[in-house]
Amino acid sequence: MYSLLKKNREGGGELSPGSPAAAGAARVALHHLNFQAGSPGALRALGQVRKATLKSIPDSGHKYYLQFTTEDYRTGENAGSCLATVLYPKTKSPPVVNIKCTDTKDQKQIQEEDNRLYQKIRSQTKPIIGNNIPDSYGNIEPALEPAWALAVAGSSYMMWEKSAENLGYFMAQVKSAKQWIRKDDFIEFDYTVLLHEIPTQEIVSCHMRLTWLPGHALKVKYFCSSENQRLEDGSGMESGSAAGILDERGANF
Amino acid sequence: MRVLILLAALVAVATSTETFVGHQVLRIVPTTHEELQKVQELQDLEDLQLDFWLGPRGPGHPVDVRVPLPSLQPLKVHLESNGISYSVMIKDVQALVDREKKEMLRTRRWLPLSTSTFNYDSYHNLAEIYDFIDLLVAENPNLVSKLEIGRSTEDRPLYVLKFSKGGTNRPAIWIDTGIHSREWVTQASGVWFAKKIVSDHEQDEGLASILNEMDIFLEIVTNPDGFAFTHTQNRMWRKTRSRHSSSTCIGVDPNRNWDAGFGGTGSSSNPCSETYRGPYANSEPEVRAIVDFVKNHGNIKAFISIHSYSQLLLYPYGYTSTPAPDHQELHQISEQAAAALASLYGTDFEYGSIYSTIYPASGSTVDWTYNQGIKYSFTFELRDTGRYGFLLPASQIVPTAQETWLALKVIMQHARDHPY
Repeated sequence: MYSLLKKNREGGGELSPGSPAAAGAARVALHHLNFQAGSPGALRALGQVRKATLKSIPDSGHKYYLQFTTEDYRTGENAGSCLATVLYPKTKSPPVVNIKCTDTKDQKQIQEEDNRLYQKIRSQTKPIIGNNIPDSYGNIEPALEPAWALAVAGSSYMMWEKSAENLGYFMAQVKSAKQWIRKDDFIEFDYTVLLHEIPTQEIVSCHMRLTWLPGHALKVKYFCSSENQRLEDGSGMESGSAAGILDERGANF
Repeated sequence: MRVLILLAALVAVATSTETFVGHQVLRIVPTTHEELQKVQELQDLEDLQLDFWLGPRGPGHPVDVRVPLPSLQPLKVHLESNGISYSVMIKDVQALVDREKKEMLRTRRWLPLSTSTFNYDSYHNLAEIYDFIDLLVAENPNLVSKLEIGRSTEDRPLYVLKFSKGGTNRPAIWIDTGIHSREWVTQASGVWFAKKIVSDHEQDEGLASILNEMDIFLEIVTNPDGFAFTHTQNRMWRKTRSRHSSSTCIGVDPNRNWDAGFGGTGSSSNPCSETYRGPYANSEPEVRAIVDFVKNHGNIKAFISIHSYSQLLLYPYGYTSTPAPDHQELHQISEQAAAALASLYGTDFEYGSIYSTIYPASGSTVDWTYNQGIKYSFTFELRDTGRYGFLLPASQIVPTAQETWLALKVIMQHARDHPY
């Protein structure tokens, strides 16, 4: 990261799409998207970065302009492409993300998938409890898949907030998942999630409490092991904001 | 119940005389004291050779009995004529025993009898991999030998497989997997590579010609202490298991412990850190063993150290942004190798120097080997790109190993064709 910035004399310039800085910024944008969308049935993973530019904004921070493809988090199928800006502020605050993506699924499909996951959880006779998801061998029990998908969505919030220009995250494992049955229709889970931190290679243990109802914003409260306490409401948007076809000519990157 | 079947099977195997072909297990439920008595009397009829799994206890309590084939008809007639109800619990005991034995051979806890029955698409523990190594050597004594290059902090042997068609101190290729213990797909791939070399060394032209001129050294479990720890205590353990300072923290990052830019950025001086470089270069016996081996051998021409995850093919340097003198050639090889890898399943690898492609890292393995004069020094980061990360599903082991092997062959062939 440092070397790339030294090269850009005017405080800006094109980055190699394969560079770790570009990939890192794209991931941050996706963490933000996955959390805001609040759809465990429509989680996206990074495909390929196609274009990346970096601008140093005086008194503000470093701003990345990105174009990248995405894949469905579960299946790996192509899930459309995105345009995003990611500003890493000079101050110690979360990255500022603007992201717009095309969809290979339409809203109806996404809602159906969310409802399917929702029903799968609601139809259990006992609260869902699980450990080590995936297990050491990479297996995810089918009964625990919805809990895992929700954990990914919730962890996206944590990972977005904690990310910095030289600090990135992956969700390594759900150490434990415990459902709390509520009187209302919302689904509530308590999680211990392990995050893999780059480049430090540390495994960060986070406690996360999450509530969800299809069509509603995902709410996450969390506390990570080597961190000050963070109690945050996910002020997620209404679902559907990421839908829509993009006119790339207007994008001006 | 299963215990009884197992015991029976073990007895049969041990004695090799008893079989249970046609034997059935009946469940008899005496409902009155009279019936109970009739069932109890059966216990005294030694000729029937009845084997009571659940003895008579009282009316209403089930009685389970294994009945040898010759006694089946007489017993059933006896029960029916006395109005004692029964059902057939197991129709053929031998069939069940056979199935159980097969199942045990398949599952992890049972040691395979040859590298042909070894399960390449599942993850194995240290004992199983070390057994595999011995089996491989025993099956291919003319091609494969096992070397002990040192011992780990916890005194585990460090084994390297040598694949050689002869000669003395031929130019060689080194491959290591599992230096970071949590990167399980790498040790699993190492096992697959070992078998692949043995299977292909005659029919695959490329490999045959490589082995005609060069030896291959393969260290599958480069960090056995860490590996054992990932199985017993902490799946996410990365480092060795050494204790150096008075710190309560254990372990050194073996990929920051080499004498190349040792102590620079991209490594930590904090013993509790995952990238702790250690008190001094080569402090770790696992690293020292390889250093000594490489120096003593003196003729290694390609050195490949394998990690996961991220899908990257990297060459020196990590400790500096200054390009390595051979960076252009290494970049070219990487391009070819990545293309070969992608040709199988479309898996995309980025490639470049460690410093610019992943992050600055000092004291890393291939920086040291490169500075020793081993020009073709590469580090791989295998599948995936973060979806499963270290917990890569076992179903991806073989595809990962297969595609990586194609890239390895590109590097090995280049080394063979460009002696220096």
